[in-house]
Amino acid sequence: MKHKRNTWKVWRPACCALMALLVMTACSSGSEERGQPVAETGAVTLEFWTPFSGGDNQFMSALVAAFNREHPGIAVTQVNSRLDDYYSRLRTAILSGNAPDVAVLHQTSLPQFVKNGYIEEMTKLAGEGGIEWDGFSAHALNAVTYDGKPYAVPLDTHALVLYYNLDHLQAAGLLDDAGKPILEEGAEGFLRFLGKLKEALPGNIAPLAEPSTRIDSVWLWWSFYNQMDGGGAFYDESASRAAIMNPKALEALEYVKKLYDNEYIPPNINDAFKLFYDGEAATLITGMWGTGAFEKADGLRFGAVPVPVIFDKPAVWGDSHTLALPIRHSSTPEQKQAALLFAQWVAEHGELWAEAGHVPSWRGSSESEAFTGLPFRSDYAKAVGDVAYWPRHPRQWTVIEYLIQEFEKMIYGQQSPAEALEAAAKRIDAELRK
Amino acid sequence: MRHRRSPITWFKNQELARKLILINFFLIVIPLGILSYFAFSRFAAAMEHKVGDFQLQAIKGLTLNLDTYMEELDRLTLMPYQYEEIIRFLESDRRGEGDNPLSLEEIKALNNFVTQVFLNGRVDIMGVSLFGEKGASYVVLPESQYVTTYSLDENAEWLKRQQGGSGQSVFVATHEISSTSGATYQAFSIARELRSFDSGKKLGYIVIDVDPSVIRGILSQVSLGSREHIYIADWNNRLVAGKTDAEPAELAGALPSSGEMPSQGVSHAVVDGERQLVAYVTSPITNWTTVGIVPAKELMKDAEGIRQSILLFGAACVGIAMLASVFLAYRMTRPLRTLITLMRKVERGDLKVSFPVRHWDEIGRLGKAFNTMVSNLSQLGYLLYETEIREKDAQIAALQSKINPHFLYNTLGSISMYAEMDGNRDVVRMTNNLSRLLRYSLSSHKELVTLEEELEHVKGYMTIQQMRYEERLDFRLSVHESVRGCMVIPLMIQPIVENAINHGIDKGAGSGMIAVECERREQTLVITIEDDGIGLSDEQLQHLRKRLLFSKDTGGRSGNGLLNVHRRIVLHFGPAYGLRLESMPYRGLKAIIELPAIAAEGILKGEKHA
Repeated sequence: MKHKRNTWKVWRPACCALMALLVMTACSSGSEERGQPVAETGAVTLEFWTPFSGGDNQFMSALVAAFNREHPGIAVTQVNSRLDDYYSRLRTAILSGNAPDVAVLHQTSLPQFVKNGYIEEMTKLAGEGGIEWDGFSAHALNAVTYDGKPYAVPLDTHALVLYYNLDHLQAAGLLDDAGKPILEEGAEGFLRFLGKLKEALPGNIAPLAEPSTRIDSVWLWWSFYNQMDGGGAFYDESASRAAIMNPKALEALEYVKKLYDNEYIPPNINDAFKLFYDGEAATLITGMWGTGAFEKADGLRFGAVPVPVIFDKPAVWGDSHTLALPIRHSSTPEQKQAALLFAQWVAEHGELWAEAGHVPSWRGSSESEAFTGLPFRSDYAKAVGDVAYWPRHPRQWTVIEYLIQEFEKMIYGQQSPAEALEAAAKRIDAELRK
Repeated sequence: MRHRRSPITWFKNQELARKLILINFFLIVIPLGILSYFAFSRFAAAMEHKVGDFQLQAIKGLTLNLDTYMEELDRLTLMPYQYEEIIRFLESDRRGEGDNPLSLEEIKALNNFVTQVFLNGRVDIMGVSLFGEKGASYVVLPESQYVTTYSLDENAEWLKRQQGGSGQSVFVATHEISSTSGATYQAFSIARELRSFDSGKKLGYIVIDVDPSVIRGILSQVSLGSREHIYIADWNNRLVAGKTDAEPAELAGALPSSGEMPSQGVSHAVVDGERQLVAYVTSPITNWTTVGIVPAKELMKDAEGIRQSILLFGAACVGIAMLASVFLAYRMTRPLRTLITLMRKVERGDLKVSFPVRHWDEIGRLGKAFNTMVSNLSQLGYLLYETEIREKDAQIAALQSKINPHFLYNTLGSISMYAEMDGNRDVVRMTNNLSRLLRYSLSSHKELVTLEEELEHVKGYMTIQQMRYEERLDFRLSVHESVRGCMVIPLMIQPIVENAINHGIDKGAGSGMIAVECERREQTLVITIEDDGIGLSDEQLQHLRKRLLFSKDTGGRSGNGLLNVHRRIVLHFGPAYGLRLESMPYRGLKAIIELPAIAAEGILKGEKHA
């Protein structure tokens, strides 16, 4: 019996040691639990590419931010590039399989993407996601429909408008009481209008601001060409040859050249937009997208009217922004649904996008008070009905590049309008033969 | 409350079990506490060191990642060297006001070059600017067409850094750039001085503006903790990009002064009154410093958890140990408490207790001793009890012998009366003596009587016996005057005298002399009854003495009168007193009664003692 008490004496230090050991293991096991990666938030991420410049990008950024706020489960990242680089970048991305989830495409470039199967046919997806095609204006829906199937969500229509500086026009006595320019109809009338501006204003103020390079002169030519009765032909009937070698096309281009030659459009303008923005131009013919930016410009008082009718009837170059879903084999169904939802949402919030200056394609937006209540838009919204779109041709975007290059040479005096049209037509024919 | 005077006295006065518990408590808690404290503080220090290392490694990795990207951007700034047109443009003299506008070819070349930069770089390049030494300028900003009127800000800080440089590029912290449409953008820039190899002269600069969100994207892949700050600042502590929006200015105090700052390290700083762990790495490529700041508390959250678990485990262990200790302490002292309870019972007179001895330890031995003690006590008590019973027995016997004493008296009185009438004086005397004898013996309920009274009784008895034996009885009584008043036990001498008659006279030997002598020897009353009868043989004497010494039998009615007297004396006065016998064959028997000499005055006292 005696040894029983001794057992306790032996065990007590052992118990203490055991406790100490417990404490130590508690320490060591704790130190192993250092967690490494932080769990990702389960949001569906979408990459959204845009080609905006001249002020409309800030409105799109605001839209994207609003969308992200309203949809915590979706994170849209907008990547904006210069229009100059946008399509080369997009082409590379699509060819290398790194296409964005959503991309803005111009209606003009849509045929190429549709023909080569670079973008999703929307009903395939929309059948599940549900895009209300009835909500879009008929011509906008028509513009994205190929073989009866929509390939993109139409966002807006944008066309050329004439912006004018109220102060300069007033100084030249060319502003009526309603704040509209006093402008005669016809080719001569517009030239006289510009002539008066040139006379009345100091030499550093451009009567009409247009860049000496880039696409703007092509837009002017296309607008004027389409204003003529019987004008506006671009390809022959089989769409295999250019049809721009005709007197009407030449007349329109010569009219454009006259604007430069008379220095109503001063030479060596690289950024006409900036010129008007800074108040250094009396008028500017550019896309509707300038409105939003000009409204934000300090000290700029301006107005906007449709491009004057130079020839027989109103017509103006125009295009549409559409939201397309480039085909991505790596994208998940969730991403596709989210992309559809995003496209629909952006289209439905056209009144916000309209703040940039465009006319929304979503009828709910274009007919809303939020849009009609905006200043200037009502002045030029009806121009949308006169829009002369580029012909729907897979190579149209490339073809326009040739026009730009040839017209630039003409503006720089390296060739006559006739030579420019001929050179362009040759390059187009060659392109179409490929 | 006296025992609370000092803790030590207080402790000493505690129950044994409590003492054991207290001692165990201190023996467990103090070493465990010290051990836990040191273990934890060592662990916390080691952990902080490790965490600092980890943070530095993370920041290093981050910087490396960024550097790869920056090197790629850096290479873009070398592109002008591969484009002759660009070099020619930079060399061209365009200082005149509005003169020398760009030719279509120049525009094409520049546009082409910029497009190459945009396309070859990453998506996030926002702007490209070319500045020639002789006024050539070509600036592309986001959302804008190119501008040729912008000139280089001669006061730009990066320019000063660049001058006298080795042609290496400078990374400029995030600053604001505005597009021609009024929108402003945040961008950081890479600027490089371009030189002509042929002439060795400076040609101009190329500046590439980049969206800092790419850096933010890289930063956001690293997480140091939930309240971290990760940011990149340039040599002047201007923010390049941060994972959060915190201004580096308010965190600037966290970094060691930039002058002697090593290229990487971990330091501590107090920001917003909180201790922060700061890890920083300066990139050799950008000269930017990547800084990661995390509150030390945040990092030590795990350690905090461990401290909690140490405390919890410690408390649990101490709790278990204390429970065990309490259990054991009470278990070990339980026999002692049992012993105490048993003692109380014994105190109250319950002697039928026994301590169960289970283990042969000190307590077992103590229990054994206790059991022995109780058993002895109980035996003693039994003796006392027995005596009382015997006394009762004797009294009952006496009562039985008191058979109708009144009838006997009356009868004796009648006999005496008839004898008187007949004139028989002897019968009268005999009956009167017998009557007195009877009365004395029947009325002897008193415990003590005087020797005088007792001797009167003996005399009355002897008168009768003398009449029986006529002249054959020679009774001699010698009493010292001083002892007449002494207290003696009643009916103490008469049985001895009777025994002397029976054994001395009846056996026929001797002259029939019976002598009673009472005297005092110091404090002892000595009464000697002597006869000259047949006496006792040695054997008989030894037997009788042995019975006197050891027998507890009082003899009762049938017992030996000598034994009876002896026991009564012993019971009454203790074993120091009693009856002694001396005898020789044919020389008679001498019975000596020894009693304490108690005077009549002492009766009261003596009664109290009883």
